Formats: sequence, structure tokens, C-alpha cells
Amino acid sequence: MFGEKAYILIKELDRSRDSLPPYNTELIGEIGNEIKQLIAQNQEDAQVTEDSHAAESVSYIPTVKIRHAAIKRNVRCILAYHYNRIKCLKTMRWQFGSILPPDVKANLSASEIEWFSQYSNSLVHYMRSIGEDGINLAVDLKPPKSLYIEVRCLVDYGQFELNDGSVLLLKRNSRHYLPRNECEELIRRGVLEHVV
Amino acid sequence: MDLDTDELENLMEDDDDVNVQLTSAELIEMMEEIWVNEKFAPEILPNKSEIVDCVLGQINYMERNLNTLQCTDFKKGIHQLEVDRIRYLVTSYLRQRLEKIETYVFHILKQEEQRAERGELLYLTEAEQQFAMKYKEGLKQHFENVTSFYPGLPVEDWRNQLVVPNIHSFVFLKARNNVEGVVIDTGRDDDNDVVDINPGSQMIISYNSVVDLVKNSDVHLI
Repeated sequence: MFGEKAYILIKELDRSRDSLPPYNTELIGEIGNEIKQLIAQNQEDAQVTEDSHAAESVSYIPTVKIRHAAIKRNVRCILAYHYNRIKCLKTMRWQFGSILPPDVKANLSASEIEWFSQYSNSLVHYMRSIGEDGINLAVDLKPPKSLYIEVRCLVDYGQFELNDGSVLLLKRNSRHYLPRNECEELIRRGVLEHVV
Repeated sequence: MDLDTDELENLMEDDDDVNVQLTSAELIEMMEEIWVNEKFAPEILPNKSEIVDCVLGQINYMERNLNTLQCTDFKKGIHQLEVDRIRYLVTSYLRQRLEKIETYVFHILKQEEQRAERGELLYLTEAEQQFAMKYKEGLKQHFENVTSFYPGLPVEDWRNQLVVPNIHSFVFLKARNNVEGVVIDTGRDDDNDVVDINPGSQMIISYNSVVDLVKNSDVHLI
């Protein structure tokens, strides 16, 4: 049936709302082929309709219309798939900053990577243009409640230098009491965990 | 909170510009208001870049002041937290706007164009405008890439089906000035109710009936 593959694509999207599954090149290609086929068939029928007499050609028109609807639906599904992936990527830009973790990057298509770097660039450009010397909008994502927070280290991160120059060693399972604005990024990257 | 603002004022006492008759507390209050408005309004509001710039200037000044304080000073921590809080206010406000721009990019840019044609005040700042243009280009490019397997597809559809903000959604508001004869727009012409808004009163109302009041700050959203 027409549009079945597109439906599978959307289902896949729906199942993984907050994560990015690998880019489904295969299925997209198949849907593309289906669209190509439908268009070719439509053109054929349209040609026949034009050539033949009006009386026998009428029966083709509904077929062409249905195929056209299927094409439109397929295109729409493809666009929806890409749009929603981009939305997910956007959240990740805020989470991880301009450099994506390798496992996420492996799941993207070439066009998506290109889009991401472009988006990241314009965001940086915008942030720089605010105020006198720019402002980083990616910090203070949550309203600050206190200056220092207690964090637990989840991985062996190594040395970490604070703004006041003191260096501390972040070891797995060690606990620290750190300035919130300095470790916020590490929390989002999953290095530290906020202990409430 | 009272204590905090008092402290704040002490810290910035000599910063009150002569030409702007605003204390820092009033400034922060204004910032809070535009932040809340932006947060609850379904569509993007006119930019308030003057206020944002003022607040950013304040933050810079306070941070310079903070650096002169000694680390052992108890007051430093409190002031630092205050600065962080104000910064959160500003960044959250700007983020809020960016999010709206991203979601409704085609709609907003179209509206901006119309405003420019009519010679009205633009809602986006120059930087936001630039960002929106780039974002739109990127999205267009990406969509063209993914449909490039068959040139001439009927892809124009998505450009006609824009994502638009739902301006009929309901908002809570608090009135500052007395406004009489606000027409509650139900979408039907025949039975529109009229309501008077008294200063200080709070109500829940559909956003499209009070758009202008929010924009000229007769009321503010809560």
C-alpha cells in the first residue's frame, strides 16, 4: 500500500522521542523510490489521457489523484521526520555545546551535521552580539538557588581548574562542593551529578 | 528578597545615571516584568533592548565592584548570588525569545517584513533578525537536501503550512492602568462581550483580546 514505509518512519520517530536513533538512510531511500515510481506512473497515465479520447481517459483521473495524494503524504512524512530530528539536535546543542559527543554524531546524516554546525555558528554569532562583549546564554539554564552546590563525580575526569586558580582532581565517586556556575556545564555533560 | 534588593542598591549607589531616572531596583523590576510577559505570551513581543542593555551594564558594573571585594568578605557571596540571579533573568529572557524565533521563524519573518513595509517599529533586534534569517536559510537548505532525490517535488507545501503561535490561548494578567471597554473577541461578530479592567485586578482572558494592552504595558501577564 502507498505510504506504508513513511508510516514506519514516523512510528520510529515517535518511539524515540528524546533520543536520536541512527539516521534511517535505507528507509528514506525506499520512500524516495516509491515517490519516484508514483511520479513516473502518474506521468505515464497523464500522457495516455492526453493522447486518447476524452471518453476512455476519464477513468484515469481518480488514479492519478490518489497517487498524487500518496506522494504528498510521503513527502510530508519525510519532512516531519527531518524536522523532528532537528528539534532534538537543537536541544542537544544547548546541552552539550557546539561539540557533539561522538556517539550522537555517528547517528546523523551529512546534511544534518552541516545544519548543526551552521546553527551552532549563528547561535555563537548571536550570543557575541549581545551587550558589550557578548553573553553566554548556555549557562544559567536553571534559576540559581545557591552559589555552591554539592556534586558527585561520575567519571574519572582528571584535573579541573576553577576560576580562582585552584586546581582540584575530579575522581570517580568523589564528592565536591563547587561554585554552581563553574560546574554547570560538567553536570550537563554527565561528568558530575548534582547531589540534592 | 527585600534584603537582597537593599544590598543591591548599596552596591550600586553611585551608578544611577543622570539622564535615566531609574533606580536599579526599578530596573530589575522592569526586567522581571518583560521576562514574565515574554514567558507567557504565545507570540513574540516587541524587543526591549534598552532595558536588556541597561541590565547587562549593571551586571558588568557589579561584577567589577565584586572583584574589588576581598574573598573572605561575607558580603561577596550574597552579592555574587544576586548577580547570578539577575543574569539568569536576562539570559532566560533572551533564550525565551530565541526559542520563539526558532519555532515560528517563517511566520515571524513574514510579520517583520510587513511591519517594515508599513514603517512600523520592528519587533526583533538586529541581531535576532540576523539569527532568524540564518536559521531560516539553514532549515530551507536542509529540507532541500533531503528532498533532492527528485527535483521538482511538491515541497512548496510546507512553506504554506506555517507554524503559527496560537494567539487565542488563555493568559493570566494583572492590570496596571484603568482600561475601559476591552472587547472579548470570541471570533463571532454578533455577541462580543465588553469588560472594564480596573487597576490591580487580575483576570484570565484569551490573549488576542489584550494583545495591544500587553504591548503598551497597560497590563502585564502573570
